[in-house]
Amino acid sequence: MIRKNPFVYYSKKIAIFLLSILILSVAAFYISRWAPGDPLVSYYGERVERMTPEEREWAEEKLGLNDPIHIQYIRWLQNALQGNFGISFKYKQDVMEVIGGRLGNTLILGGIGFLLIFAGALGLGILCVWREDGWLDRTLCKVGTIITCIPEFWLSLVLILIFSIQLRWLPSSGAYSVGNKNDLADRAVHLILPMIVTVLNHLWYYAYMIRNKLLEEVRADYVLLAKSKGLSKKRILFKHCLRNIIPSYLSIMAISVPHILGGTYIVETVFSYPGIGTLSYESARYQDYNLLMILCIFSGALVILFNIIAQIINERIDPRMRENEIVESTEVTEVG
Amino acid sequence: MMENLLEIKNLSVSFHTPQGELQAVRDVSFSLQKGEVLAIVGESGCGKSVLCKAIMKLLTKEASIKSGTIFANGADITRYTQRDMEKLRGKLFSMVFQDPMTSLNPTISIGEQIAEAVRIHNPRMTKEDVFQRVIELMDLVGIEDPKQRYHLYPYNFSGGMRQRSVMAIALASNPKILFADEPTTALDVTIQAQILDLLKEIQQKLETATILVSHDLGVVARVADRVAVMYAGKIVEIGTAEEIFYDPRHPYTWGLMQALPSYAKVGEKLHTIPGMPPVLIDPPKGDAFASRNPYALAIDYEQEPPMFRISDSHYAATWLLDPRAPKITPPIGGLAHV
Repeated sequence: MIRKNPFVYYSKKIAIFLLSILILSVAAFYISRWAPGDPLVSYYGERVERMTPEEREWAEEKLGLNDPIHIQYIRWLQNALQGNFGISFKYKQDVMEVIGGRLGNTLILGGIGFLLIFAGALGLGILCVWREDGWLDRTLCKVGTIITCIPEFWLSLVLILIFSIQLRWLPSSGAYSVGNKNDLADRAVHLILPMIVTVLNHLWYYAYMIRNKLLEEVRADYVLLAKSKGLSKKRILFKHCLRNIIPSYLSIMAISVPHILGGTYIVETVFSYPGIGTLSYESARYQDYNLLMILCIFSGALVILFNIIAQIINERIDPRMRENEIVESTEVTEVG
Repeated sequence: MMENLLEIKNLSVSFHTPQGELQAVRDVSFSLQKGEVLAIVGESGCGKSVLCKAIMKLLTKEASIKSGTIFANGADITRYTQRDMEKLRGKLFSMVFQDPMTSLNPTISIGEQIAEAVRIHNPRMTKEDVFQRVIELMDLVGIEDPKQRYHLYPYNFSGGMRQRSVMAIALASNPKILFADEPTTALDVTIQAQILDLLKEIQQKLETATILVSHDLGVVARVADRVAVMYAGKIVEIGTAEEIFYDPRHPYTWGLMQALPSYAKVGEKLHTIPGMPPVLIDPPKGDAFASRNPYALAIDYEQEPPMFRISDSHYAATWLLDPRAPKITPPIGGLAHV
């Protein structure tokens, strides 16, 4: 088998990635500018109400808000290409610095949550298929569906009520206690509730998908042949069926990134967890344009990146998806 | 008398459906001897595939063996669990399925899929020996350039080549019994003949007893030693190929023969059997074929006919063979043109 030049292959993927980001930035830029609201409020706060028209004019001029949108965009792009994404109107700080302080928190919550969700979902999915139609499978299906239907914010509030207010076991908000920024145990304790909500909310959704995909595979014809050659149930499930759902599993994982990320954003807001989520919410609410742009691009880049990664992995696992691979003697025809 | 490799006694298999119990196989008995080819013929849905899958216990959970016994290689395997069956599958019996387009795993190379079948019953074989054995098997089933094709995937292969690969998998551990469930139905007509010849050739070379399921009497005539005709979940006639083709006794067998294109005279319409097979949820009383049978007697609607003995090897279940039945002239017999 001959593989086409890997350089061309990856350059193509990178080009697609950059192009997508560019399109995303244009869309985000225009939509945020068109959205109603006064960006000056986020910069000057209450003072805006007392400004004279001249002062407003001067302020808009200073922030570069009175040029046509495409001029503003080109200016933003030129700066961005040099690594300068502007300052946050609200924090009066370079947006990168604003994000830098929060990014770690979100990556910890989202990243660990993501791993737990997918490890758990795969385990539950396999367990359900192994015990298909048994009491365990049926109970899991019912309980899982109920839990998935509970809204995140409500579940968060109930958990806060029980574990923070009634039992006083766990903190209800923040990422760490005051003055304990570097205490890992303290951070872990703060993570428990948001993590439980993030995981519980998505776990069954993906477990159920994996269960159904696997059930489809287990009923496929090739399983009959595998059985008839003497393979065990375990070997068929793990060596044959699981292998065939991995491409779709990875696609689901990649596509779920925005889903789970969005989920953590909500959870962050409810728990006042200082991460990208709370920041995005604020920046959109107060027309903090530069901050909003960088957050959009960051979230978007993550989503696109994961899609491309999923595609690459897919192509490696499932030979039918390899577009760039030429198989020798594909024209194998029937011979006497 | 040769040793019976497989002996099925009064086997009944039912599917539990929301509409009720579907009796797919009803009171079937037959035996299979070492090295012979037994063909099972009948219309779609008559239970021939279910019968084979029931013997290998490859049916889904909705299906269960209601009564009867299965003796394989001298052991009663009727109550065997899936785990027990894993040791027998591949080694004692194995199966070739109808559609080679779907019966191979699309993401594992052909060679690897055959190797898996070799390894499962010979776990101590070295890598090199397994590879040699796979090449040998691919040679056996007529896949040319096996070394190059070892690494190809099912999607690189044509239908005929895939069916050859499936046969290689089925034969990997030298099974004593091979079930071939309509192995040529999904293939082109030209390829059908090749696969059948291959089946016969391998069967003679390895002396594998074969149960060939087919709805095509032409296919059966080409390879079978004995033929069992199934209708509505029952074997209605069984005998040597010669007896079935030259001296059929059951009206259903007559109907099948008459329906052969080679039977029709030039300018005549092809013969068909009127009506549809019965639904096997609540099968009809008496002979299930009675309503489609132009020779049906009154008793056919009341009581099921037993198996009447015609010779030591030839039996048929029709009241026409009862000494009290009116003598009729069979529409066919002495079929020279099959």
